[in-house]
Amino acid sequence: MRRTRIVFGLLAAGTATLALASLHARITTAPERARMARSAALVRAVGLTDLALFTEARFTRNPALADLQTAFQDAPMSFEHFPSGTFAPRPAAGFGRGELRFGPEEAAR
Amino acid sequence: MTSWLRRQRALAEYTLAALARRRIKNTGLLLIYAMVIFVVASATLFATALRKEAEVVLAEAPEVIIQNLVMGRHDLIPGDVIAEIDGIRGVASIKGRLWGYFYDRLNGANYTLMVPLDPAMAPPAGQAIIGESLPRVREMPWETAPLFLSRTPGDLVRFDIAKRLSSDSALVSTDLILLNEANFRAFFELPEDVYTDIALSIRNPREIDTIVEKIGRLLPNARLVTRDEIARTYQKLFSWREGIMVLLAGASVLAFVIFAAEKASGLSAEETREIGILKAIGWDTGDVIAMKLWEGGLVSFGAFLLGTVLAYLHVFAFDAGLFASVLKGWSVIYPDFALTPGIDGLQLTALFFLTVLPYMAATIVPIWRAATADPDQVMR
Amino acid sequence: MISVQSVCKTYNEGRPSALTALDGIDLEIARNALTVFKGPSGSGKTTLLSIISCMARPTSGRVLIDGRMVSGLPERFLTLERRRTFGFVFQRFNLIRGLSVLENVLLPATPLGGERRADAKRALARLEMLGIAGKAGERVEFLSGGEAQRAAIARALINDPPVLIADEPTANLDTELAHRFLDIVSGLRAEGRTVIMTSHDPRIWAADQVDRVVSMRDGRLEENEA
Ligand SMILES: Nc1ncnc2c1ncn2[C@@H]1O[C@H](COP(=O)(O)OP(=O)(O)O)[C@@H](O)[C@H]1O
Ligand SMILES: [Mg+2]
Repeated sequence: MRRTRIVFGLLAAGTATLALASLHARITTAPERARMARSAALVRAVGLTDLALFTEARFTRNPALADLQTAFQDAPMSFEHFPSGTFAPRPAAGFGRGELRFGPEEAAR
Repeated sequence: MTSWLRRQRALAEYTLAALARRRIKNTGLLLIYAMVIFVVASATLFATALRKEAEVVLAEAPEVIIQNLVMGRHDLIPGDVIAEIDGIRGVASIKGRLWGYFYDRLNGANYTLMVPLDPAMAPPAGQAIIGESLPRVREMPWETAPLFLSRTPGDLVRFDIAKRLSSDSALVSTDLILLNEANFRAFFELPEDVYTDIALSIRNPREIDTIVEKIGRLLPNARLVTRDEIARTYQKLFSWREGIMVLLAGASVLAFVIFAAEKASGLSAEETREIGILKAIGWDTGDVIAMKLWEGGLVSFGAFLLGTVLAYLHVFAFDAGLFASVLKGWSVIYPDFALTPGIDGLQLTALFFLTVLPYMAATIVPIWRAATADPDQVMR
Repeated sequence: MISVQSVCKTYNEGRPSALTALDGIDLEIARNALTVFKGPSGSGKTTLLSIISCMARPTSGRVLIDGRMVSGLPERFLTLERRRTFGFVFQRFNLIRGLSVLENVLLPATPLGGERRADAKRALARLEMLGIAGKAGERVEFLSGGEAQRAAIARALINDPPVLIADEPTANLDTELAHRFLDIVSGLRAEGRTVIMTSHDPRIWAADQVDRVVSMRDGRLEENEA
C-alpha cells in the first residue's frame, strides 16, 4: 500500500512538473516574443536571410541562398551529402593552426 | 464507483509488488525507455523551437534577393542592375548587399562579413560591430579589445569594436562582422559598383510574384530568392534534422518494442504459472488483463513523464547541449543561443501515443493466451 | 449441497491422444462435511475436484451447487461462482514467489474492490489463528512446508468461501504436520464450512475427522464408506 502511494505520488509529481513546464513556456512567451522582435529588427536592419547555426560551409551558413545547380556541393539539403561526413570527425590537425605574422601584442603597438 | 477505484488500486498494488521483485531490472527498463522518449522529445521540442524562431525572425528578411549566376554559380552582381530594375512598380527599395565569408586561419572559424543594409546601422570607418561568438572564439579579453584580421601571411587589418551584438540574437548574428561599405570593399579588394547580391523590399507582399516575374524577364540569368522560399528552406531544414533524430529514435523505439514483445511473448513458465494461479484463486480474464494494463501503463507513463520533463529541461534550460555536437558539425562557431520554451500539445499527444501504446500492446497481447487459458492447469 | 450427475471428462477429445479421465460420476456432497476422494494416482481425483470447483467443465453431465446448474456456464460466470463458493489449497500450494505472505493471502480479494484495510485485518486475523502471523511480512519462498501450507489455507479463506477445496494437502507433509492439517480442517468445519479434498494418503482415510471417503479407480467411483 505504501509502495502504491509512493509510485502514484511520483507520477503525480511528474505530471505536475510537466504542467509546470508548460506553464513556464506560457510565462516566458511574452519576454521571448520581445527578444525575437529585437532579433527580427536586426535581421531587417542588416538585411539578413539566414540563421547562423551552421557556419562550416556556405551551403550550410546560407542554405536559402546556396547555389542550387552545383552538383554534390551546395544544395541546401546536402548537409550530410557525403556519407563520410556521418562518421569522420573534423580534422584535428591543420585546422585553425595558422598564426598572425605579428603577434597581437606587436600589432597593437 | 469507489469499489471500482479500490479494485483498480488493488490491481496496481499487485502489479507494483510484482515489478518490485526485479527492482534493478525493471528500473533499468524504465530508464532505457525514458531515454528513448527523451531523445525523441528533445529532437521534437528543439526542432519546433528552431522552426518557430526561424519563422518569426526571418519574416523580416528582404522580400526578394537577386543573385547573379555565372556558370551556374553565385557571382558578384554589377551595380547597374539596380538602375535597370528601378522602374518596376511596387518596389519600395533596391539595395546592393555586400557580404562575404572570411576564414580565420587562427582558429579555423568562418566569419560572415557584411555591410548592413540600413546605413544608420553601419559602424564608422575603421570600426566593426561583431557577433556574440567572436569574443569567445578570438578570446578577446576586454570589452574594447580590437579585432585583427589577417588575409594573407604578413597582412593584418585592425578594426576597433563599435559594438558587440547581444546574444539575444545569436541565432542570426553569432558570426557577423559588420563593417561600413568603404572598409568592406577595401578589405576584400572589391571594385566599386559590384555587390554580392541585391535586396528588394516590396510594399505589398501580394505583388511579389508579379514583380519576380518582371525581373525574371529583365534579368534572365539571375536567380531570384523570395522570402517565402527562405522560410520554406528553414521549415524543411529543421523537419529534416528532426526527422533524422526521430528516425534514429524511432528505430530505438522499434527495437525497444521488439525487446518488450520478445520478453513478454517468451512469457516465462513462471509468469504463465502465476497467471494460472491468479485465475485459479478467482481472478477472471479481465482482472488479469487489467493488472497487466496497469503494469504497461505505469511503466510507460512513468517513462513518458520522465523522458519529456528531462527533454524540456535539456532543450530549454541546458540549451540542447547534447545536440550541440551533432549540429555543430565541422564548424568552430556555435551560437550561444536560448530557444523560446514551448510545448505543443498535439506533438506531445502524438509522442505519448507513439511511445506508450506500442509498449502497452507489447505487454498485453502475449498475456492474452495465458489469461484465457483454463485455470485447472495449476492443479497439476 | 453439491450434486454431480453422470459427469464425464475426456481430455483431447477427438484426437488420438483422447483420454477419458472421468466416466459417469454420480455423487452428492453434503454441506458442512469433510469429504475425501481416495484412489491411486491417475484415477481422476484431481479432475473431479476441478470440475466440482468450477475450474474446468465436464465433457458431459451436470454439476449443481445448491440447486444451481454451473456446468454449462460461460467462463465469466464460472469464475464468479468459483470466487463466491470455493477456496483452494493446491497440492504445491501455488503461492506467488517474491511476494510476502500477507500479499499472497490478499490475492483472491484483490479484484473484488473491497476495503483494503479491512481485507488486511481479516488476513492477519486468519494468519494469527493459524499461528503464522509473525511471518506475515516474510517472502513466501522462505517458509517451511507447513508454514507455506498454512499461508495457502489463509489465502483460500480470505474471501470467506463456504467450501474449501484441497488437492493432496498432506502429500508434502510429515505425519505430525498432516495431523495438524486435519485439526485445522476440522476447525474450519466447526466454522460451518464444507471441505472437499483428495488424498492417496492412508493417514487421512483413517482419520476420525473425515466424514466420508469416496474411492475412485479409472475414472469411476468404487464404493462409498461412511
Ligand atoms: N490436461 C490434461 N490433458 C490430458 N490428460 C490429462 C490432463 N489432466 C489429467 N489428465 C489425465 O487424466 C487422468 C486423471 O488425472 P488426475 O485427475 O490428475 O488423477 P489423480 O489426481 O487421481 O492422480 C490421468 O491419466 C491424467 O494423465
Ligand atoms: Mg491429483
